[in-house]
Amino acid sequence: MPRPTEKTITFTIDGREVEAIEGAMLVDAARGGDIEIPVFCYEPKLGAPVGACRMCLVEIEGIPKLQTACSTPVRDGMVVNTGTERVKGAQQSVVEFLLVNHPLDCPVCDKGGECPLQDISFGWGRGNSRFIEPKRHFVKPLALSPLIAIDRERCILCYRGVRFSQEIAEDHQLVLLERGASTFVATFDGHPYVAPFSGNIVELCPVGALTSRAYRFRARPWDIEGSGSICSLCPAQCNVTFTVRDERVLRVLSRDHDGVDDGWLCDKGRFAYQATHSDERLTTPLVRDGEQLRPATWERALAVAAGISRHAGSAAALIGGETSNEEALLLSRLMRDGLDSYDIDSRSGGVLPLELLRSLANPALQATVPDLEFANTVLLLDADPVDDAPILDLRIRKGARRREMQVLVASGRPTALDARAAEAVRHAPGSGANIACALDAALSGDTQRSATLARDGGADPEAVVRLANLLREAGEDIVIVWGERLTDGPSGAAAAQALLRIADQLGLASRDGAGLLELSRGTNGRGLREVGALPNSAPGFGEPQREGRGWNEIATAAAAGQVTALWLLGSDPARDASNGEPWAKALASAGLVIAHASTLSPELGAHANVVFPAEAGAEREGTVTSPDGRIQRLRPAIGHGGQVMPTAAVIAAIADAVGFEPGFSTGSKATEAVAEAVGFYAGLTSDEIGGRGIRWQERDAASALPAGTAGETAAPPAAAASPNGSLRLGTYRSIWASPEVEISPALKFLSRSATVEISPEDAERIGIGNGQRVELGSNGSQLEAVAQLRSDVPEGSIFIESGLTSVGLSATEGELVEVTAK
Amino acid sequence: MSAILFDRIDEPGLATIDVYTRRGGYSALKKALAMPREAIIEELKVSGLRGRGGAGFSMGTKASFIPGAEIDKYLVCNADESEPGTFKDRELMQKKPHQLIEGMIISAYAVGANRSFIYIRGEYVLQAEMLERAIAEAKQAGHLGENIHGSGFSLDLVLQRGAGAYICGEETGLLDSLEGKRGNPRLKPPFPANEGLYKGPTLINNVETLATVPPIIEMGGAEYAKLGVENSAGTKLVSVSGNVQRPGNYEIELGISSREIIFGLAGGPEAGRSVKLWFPGGSSSPVLTADDLDLPYDFDSLAKAGSMLGSGAIIVVDDSVRVVDVALKLASFYRHESCGKCTPCREGTNWTVNMLERVQSGEATPMDLDIIASVQEQIIGNCLCVLGDAMAMPVGSLVAKFRPEFEAHIEAARERNGLGASQPAVEQPVLTI
Repeated sequence: MPRPTEKTITFTIDGREVEAIEGAMLVDAARGGDIEIPVFCYEPKLGAPVGACRMCLVEIEGIPKLQTACSTPVRDGMVVNTGTERVKGAQQSVVEFLLVNHPLDCPVCDKGGECPLQDISFGWGRGNSRFIEPKRHFVKPLALSPLIAIDRERCILCYRGVRFSQEIAEDHQLVLLERGASTFVATFDGHPYVAPFSGNIVELCPVGALTSRAYRFRARPWDIEGSGSICSLCPAQCNVTFTVRDERVLRVLSRDHDGVDDGWLCDKGRFAYQATHSDERLTTPLVRDGEQLRPATWERALAVAAGISRHAGSAAALIGGETSNEEALLLSRLMRDGLDSYDIDSRSGGVLPLELLRSLANPALQATVPDLEFANTVLLLDADPVDDAPILDLRIRKGARRREMQVLVASGRPTALDARAAEAVRHAPGSGANIACALDAALSGDTQRSATLARDGGADPEAVVRLANLLREAGEDIVIVWGERLTDGPSGAAAAQALLRIADQLGLASRDGAGLLELSRGTNGRGLREVGALPNSAPGFGEPQREGRGWNEIATAAAAGQVTALWLLGSDPARDASNGEPWAKALASAGLVIAHASTLSPELGAHANVVFPAEAGAEREGTVTSPDGRIQRLRPAIGHGGQVMPTAAVIAAIADAVGFEPGFSTGSKATEAVAEAVGFYAGLTSDEIGGRGIRWQERDAASALPAGTAGETAAPPAAAASPNGSLRLGTYRSIWASPEVEISPALKFLSRSATVEISPEDAERIGIGNGQRVELGSNGSQLEAVAQLRSDVPEGSIFIESGLTSVGLSATEGELVEVTAK
Repeated sequence: MSAILFDRIDEPGLATIDVYTRRGGYSALKKALAMPREAIIEELKVSGLRGRGGAGFSMGTKASFIPGAEIDKYLVCNADESEPGTFKDRELMQKKPHQLIEGMIISAYAVGANRSFIYIRGEYVLQAEMLERAIAEAKQAGHLGENIHGSGFSLDLVLQRGAGAYICGEETGLLDSLEGKRGNPRLKPPFPANEGLYKGPTLINNVETLATVPPIIEMGGAEYAKLGVENSAGTKLVSVSGNVQRPGNYEIELGISSREIIFGLAGGPEAGRSVKLWFPGGSSSPVLTADDLDLPYDFDSLAKAGSMLGSGAIIVVDDSVRVVDVALKLASFYRHESCGKCTPCREGTNWTVNMLERVQSGEATPMDLDIIASVQEQIIGNCLCVLGDAMAMPVGSLVAKFRPEFEAHIEAARERNGLGASQPAVEQPVLTI
C-alpha cells in the first residue's frame, strides 16, 4: 500500500506563519511554530483522537466555538490563536475541573516530578483554588494486576489506558464502568489485567493513576537517569531506556522507534530487568568440584576453560540467540583459527544450504517492520508474532485496524491473529514445509500437486487454494512473515526454496513495501548468521574454510565421543531444543563443557565444568541485527554486578590462555572487526549506528552480499505422520518462557510450567480434563505436563511449551507421542 | 388549524394498520415511491421542516448531505425521548406508530438507505411493544422488506430498546449504543451524514420529524410551508407540564403566542398562583420569566429572547416553587446523566450540584453564586457534546435571573443553621508565580 504523501502548507498561529504537513493535527502542527498546546487524552499512537479532555481548546478564525486542536486537521491559510483570553480561560477551567477530584498527594505520588498534570497545572492552570467540596474517594491503591497498581482517585479519565487495551492490544480487558463523575477504569469482570502488553498503560498514564508495582516508591525523578539501549530478550529488539538509580536498573521505558517497536513494549521487556538484580542470578564463576559446581576465582575458572586447548580439533560451540555480533565473531574466530574446530552453530533447527541463506538475505526481498503496517496483505507462515516477536503483533493489528490490511495465516498452532485473519490454515505441527510447497504449487496453478502436498501436511487442500487465491488478489504489497521453525529439520531446504518461489511468483522483490520477514528464534538470530556463526558459512555468507557439524549433529557426535568439548555461549541446549533428551546425553559425554549463563538449568548444573556468569541486558555492549537487518547498539546502562565480566572479555581471556590472538575483544574495535569481516557491513562504525540503528540493506555496502541461487531442488517434504490414535507433537515457546521471567520477582507469576495444549475432542477420547496431569511418551522418554484444553487446537495435534528448564522428551516437532492420564 | 400529527389521534384502533390505512395511511408512501428520490428531498426542503428533536436543523438539508453513492447507508429514528418534560413522541408512537413507520420508509427511500432502526428509550415498554406489532404489520402488508411494492427499493426496520441513559439520545451516543458499545458521544466531525452507524452515511431524525414526512408528501412541501411563520414552518407538538391545570401534548401552529399555549391550551397555573418562570423547550433551555409570556412560540423568537424552542417541552413553574430547588433538581439530573467522557461536563455538572447543595442547605455564601455562574460559563461551548450545555444554560440563566431569590435563600438558610449573615467578599491578592 503506498505510504500517504505529504503536502506542506502554511498557516498562522499566534501571529506567526508556520509550515506544516497538510492534515496534521493542530497540536502537532503548532510545534513547528514553537507553540505548545497542552493535551492529556491526545496520543496519536492510540489512533483517532477522542477529544475527551478538552485541554487543547484553541480559537480558529471563522469558527465560532473553540475547537480541540488534537482533532482539527490543519489547513492552508488557517489562522489559529492559542493565547487569547478566551483560550486561556478555557485552559484554566479544564485544569480546574480536572483538579476538582484529583488528590493533591503529589509528595507521595510516583508520578510527581514527571507528571503531565503537574506540568500543565503549572503552565496553564489558574494558580488558585476555588473549591472546598470533598473529592471523590476510592480504595487506593488497588492491584489492577500483579504488575500494575491503580489509584482511581488520581485518574483523570483521559481514556488512554482503556483505548490502548481496546484499540492497540485488542485484549479488550480494560473498560470504564459507571458514568459521569462516578466513572472509573476497571476490568470488565474484575479479573486482573494480565496481558502481554499491559505495562504500556503505565507509560501512557498522564497522572499517577496507573503505576508499576515494581517501580512504586523506588525512586523520584531527580534520583534517576535514563540510558538508551536495546532490549535483548527477543528478535523484535525494541528500543528501550533503562531508568538507573545508583547503578541499579529500576525501570524500563520505551524509546519510541517507528522502524522497530512503534513505541510499545511487551511486559517481558518492561519488567524482566528485575533479573539483573535478582538473588537467583549467577554473578560469580562456577567450577565443577566432583558432583558440585562451586564458586571459584576468575583465575581458576579461566584456567579450567583454557583446558579447551587439549580438545583442539574436537571442540564445538553452540551460540545462543542473545549473543552479540561481536561476541559471536570472536568465539567463532577462536574456534576456527585458534582451536581448529569448525562445529559452530546458532540455529537449533538444522543446517540450511549456504546458497539459500544468501538468497533469503537478498535486500530486494527484505520486508521492513513498518511494511507490516502499510502492506496490503500480511501472511504469517508458521509464525505467531505474539510469542516470536511480540511487538510485531501490535504492528500487524495496527495495519489491520487502521488500513484494513488483510491478514492471512498458515500455521500449526493457532495464532493470536487468527481472529483477524481472512483465512487461517492449520497444518500438522512440523509440516510448515509441506504447506509452503503446497502454496507454491497452488500459486503456479498445479492444484493437484498442491492438494497432495497439503494433505501430506495435514492441511485442508481447499483452504490452501483459497489462501493462494487470496494472495493472488491481495494487492501489490504482500509481506510474508515466516517463523524460523518453518525451515527446521530435513525439509528446511524445501521450505526455503518454496518461500523463494512464492516470493518470485508474487513479485515481492520488485516492490519496496513487499517482501519476506523472518522471525528468528534468537534475539540476534539474523546477526549470528551474518557473522558466520554457522557450520557452513564464513562471516558475510562467504564460503567456509571448512564445513563443520550443525546443531543436531554436534549432539550426536558428542554422545559418540567425536566432539569432546562443548562451549555453550548463552545457549542451554537442553532448554532451547525441542528434543532436550539427546542433549542430556551429549552433555554427559563431553569431556569439557564451558557455559555462559545467568541461571543454572539442571542439565548445566549436572554437566558443566565451568560456568561463567552471563551479562544482563543493561550491562551489555555490542551490536545486534534485527529481523529486517537493522544493526542496533547495545549500550551499557550500568556497571557489571557482582564479579560479572563482559562476555567478550572472557572469550578473549581464554583465547589469550590458549595462545590465540583474535585481534579484538570489546568496544568499538570489536564492532569495526565485525564490519571488516562481514562484507555487507563494511565501513560500519558505532557512530553510524548511533541511537536509532541502521539497516544494512540501505547502505552502499549491501551490494557485497554474495548473490544466492535457489540451489539444487530439495526433495519434497515427507508426509506428516498419521496420528492414528497417537498425537502429533508440536512445540512453541511463549514469550514468558525465559530464565529472566523465572527470576524476576514481578514476573514470576507468569513463569511457565510444562503444559500440553490439546483439543477437547482428543482430551475426551483419552479421558482427560482441563488441568489434569498427563504423561507424554515417545521413543522411551517421558514427560509430565498439565493438560490445557484449547478448542482451536486441531484434533490430532498437541502442543508443548519449549524453553522451559527441562523438556526431557526425545521427539521432534511432528513426531508422534502417546498421551496418557496420570 | 387542522391537526396534522394529531389528526384523529384518539380514534380507537388507529395504531393498527387496518384503521390507519382506512384513514388514508400509506398512500403517501405509494406516492413517494413513484417520485424520484431527489424530488422527495426537494419537497422536504421546500416544506421548511426543521428537526423536532431539539437542534432544529432543516430536515431536507440534512437528508441532502447523505451521499448518493451506492454504499451501505442507514436511517435511524431517535426515539430515545428522555429530556425532562418531553413526552410527545411517546403519544405519537403509541397512537400512530404507522405514521412514523411510513415516514421512515419514505425518508429511507429518499436517501437510499436500506437498513433502518428505531432506537427507543428503554422505559417505553408499551410503546416498544406497539411499534414491534406495527412493524410486523407493515412487513406483512409489504411496506417493508424486499422490493417494496415493486419499486425495487428494499428496507429493513429494526427496533432497538435503550437501557436507560439520557446520553443515548445524543445522536452519536445513540449510534455507539446501537453498535453495541458504551453510549458515549463521538467527536464531530465526522457528522453522521458522512460517517455514522457502522461508519456508513446515516440520516438520523426524531420521531416527530419523521412522522411529519407523510403529510408533507401528501399535501406538498409548499402547502406545508404555508403553516406557521417564517423560518418556523408547520405545526409542532408541545408537551406542557409543571404548574398548569391541563398538562399534556398539544399540536400548535408555530408562531402562536406562548401565553396562548400555557394559559389557553394548558389552563395556566392554579387560581391564585402566577407564573414565576418557564422552560420553553425542555429542561435544557434557558429559562424565561412571566415577562416573556407574550413571545411568539417559534424558533427565531425564542432564540432572540436568549432561549430556544428545543424539543417543544414547556415546563411551567409557579410562585409556590423555590428557584433553588429547581436549579438543584435540574443540575442533579444532568450530573446523573453525564457520560463522563469530557472533562467540563463530567466535573462541571458534579461540582455545580455540590455547590447548589450547599446553597440549598445553607452552607454557602453569595460568593458561591459567582463561582456557580462562572462554572456554567466554563462549560458552555467547551464540551464534547451538548449535555454539559444542557445543564449550564438553564442553571446559568436561573442564577442570573433570580439572583436576589438565591441570595435571600442563602441568608435565611444560614440564619437557620446558626452561621450568621455571610461576610461581604474580600478581594484576596493572588500570588502570581
